Amino acid sequence: MNEDKVRNGNRRSLLSGPYALWIAGFTILPLIVIMKYALTDKTGAFTTANLTAIFTDPINRKALWLSLKIAVGTTLICILLSYPMVLAMKHLGLGKKGFSLFIIILPMWMNFILRVLAWQMILSNNGLLNLLLTTLGFEPVRIANTETAIMIGSVYDYLPYMMLPIFTAIMEINEDLIEAAKDLGAGGFTVFRKVIFPLSIPGLLSGFVMVFVPSMTSFVIADILGGGKLQLIGNIIEQEFTTANNWPAGSGLSVMLMLLVLISTAFTMRRKTEGRESALW
Amino acid sequence: MFDPILQLEHITKSFDGKKILNDFDLEIGRNEFVTLLGPSGCGKSTILRIIGGFVRPDSGRVFFEGQDITMLPPEKRNVNTVFQKYSLCPHKNVEENIAFGLKLKKKSSDYIRDKVKYALKLVNLDGFEKRDTLSLSGGQQQRVAIARAIVNEPEVLLLDEPLGALDLKLRHEMQRELIKIKKEVGITFLYVTHDQEEALMRSDRIIVMNKGIIQQAGDSQSIYDEPQNAFVADFIGESNIIDGIMVKDLLVNIQGVDFPCVDTGFGENNPVDVVIRPEDLEIVKAGEGYLTGQVISIIFKGAYYEIKVKVNDYEWMIQSVDPAPIGELVGLTIDPDNIQIMHKPLRDDEEVVRDE
Repeated sequence: MNEDKVRNGNRRSLLSGPYALWIAGFTILPLIVIMKYALTDKTGAFTTANLTAIFTDPINRKALWLSLKIAVGTTLICILLSYPMVLAMKHLGLGKKGFSLFIIILPMWMNFILRVLAWQMILSNNGLLNLLLTTLGFEPVRIANTETAIMIGSVYDYLPYMMLPIFTAIMEINEDLIEAAKDLGAGGFTVFRKVIFPLSIPGLLSGFVMVFVPSMTSFVIADILGGGKLQLIGNIIEQEFTTANNWPAGSGLSVMLMLLVLISTAFTMRRKTEGRESALW
Repeated sequence: MFDPILQLEHITKSFDGKKILNDFDLEIGRNEFVTLLGPSGCGKSTILRIIGGFVRPDSGRVFFEGQDITMLPPEKRNVNTVFQKYSLCPHKNVEENIAFGLKLKKKSSDYIRDKVKYALKLVNLDGFEKRDTLSLSGGQQQRVAIARAIVNEPEVLLLDEPLGALDLKLRHEMQRELIKIKKEVGITFLYVTHDQEEALMRSDRIIVMNKGIIQQAGDSQSIYDEPQNAFVADFIGESNIIDGIMVKDLLVNIQGVDFPCVDTGFGENNPVDVVIRPEDLEIVKAGEGYLTGQVISIIFKGAYYEIKVKVNDYEWMIQSVDPAPIGELVGLTIDPDNIQIMHKPLRDDEEVVRDE
């Protein structure tokens, strides 16, 4: 009987075959290829220079630093925007809640490039923002092709990915728990600090991974809103592969970037959240 | 001397246009154990939530030690609630859950440690300080919830069907423990339940409610023995409720037979409701009792048999330690003391609740 069970189990595990093939062909194999390129120079000899280039080359260093700034800033702003919004949505009726959720998701249905291009129009020196400011009698601002512009674009694009998991986590909190905290003497902010926030951490961590990682590695937003003048590490990798045709250098940077992202997310995820893991770990 | 700690005056509350409470008054004395008893939807939980501060009444006032607290938010009230679903914080261990209120009051850590230890001892959970709340059983979680409320030394403890989620045996055990805790801490308990057995077991005063209106208030004995209307009689324990005619004082006619009774003041030849508890009816030989009928069913209930005897078209329920064979003709007799006469219901909230 036990043997039957084992055999059954084995047969069922065959169902994961297509997925395993997919992973092997499109994740593991490319990783190995990238690793091979990263560890060899143009002649094919072994080297670690491609890996260390991210710290040794001043251009790379500057790009990495800018990427980190943008990623950390984007993530923080997304968190700061998400909580008040979600708390405001919490007490809406079922219909209004669904509608507000729909509004948040709506931009995600539009083409990514289009959204970024729209922001370029808005933020450019003769754009909508400055038109609005000058008609209202304010001084125009010059934020086109700056870090601020990249940050605005990133926040706009990644905000739903932060808001949705936090929304889900907070909606799961039983209203009784909040009443119990009030009953024990907790005012509004204490309830948030002691009950709502700690219980929303799994959502926050999912949101963190989904916002921090793409805003750290993306290059499209920086390309369009940075006007090609500001380079994120993603832009440099892109150029190594396309214009410079230096695959080993690009691979080395990718591998290091991946390691850095892994380390920073693993560091955040170390905190075990009351038996419930966040969506990605 | 009655020393009121909580007073509700003319409370009215509607939800979605449906009136739950209408001009409701209630006074609760210091150190009383008061139970609000009624079927679900009768407004008993709403009263508790109004006192706790989670629901604001549409009109009316709530006084706590003479102070008007109607508009005070829950965190500013010196009452604590034990919720039906425990509502412990899953991200905190037992000790942190219990210490929550004390920490907010900025008590010293020594004081908190001692208090938590004392409270855990009181609810029979010695040494559970570091346990994860999610690893506890339902009964243990509810004990922690009780401990969490009483460490704050509230003047009034509100209990909202706290044993509703527990199984029967555990419920009985916890009922006894609640009485013990009440004696030990000596604070006012306001207890909400739909379980009549729970209410009878330990309250100083039971307030039976239906449709937002108090049907009867009194101690367990008077509520059980002298129900004032058909609703109370039916809701508290098993009962035979049958139409009767009050011939004159001390004499009631049921099913065409005159029964001597002890009630007076119902006028002459007035229709009334008569309540007879099944354990008060006695089965005798056919022809020897007031009524004669045929046994139509018998069920063994452990401590007694539940026997149904059909007299004309009414089925009397009798609880007896002696069985009677189905089909046999038997007589029924009753002590005059055990016949309870009630006025006919004036409003629908006084009537027996029927399952539809």
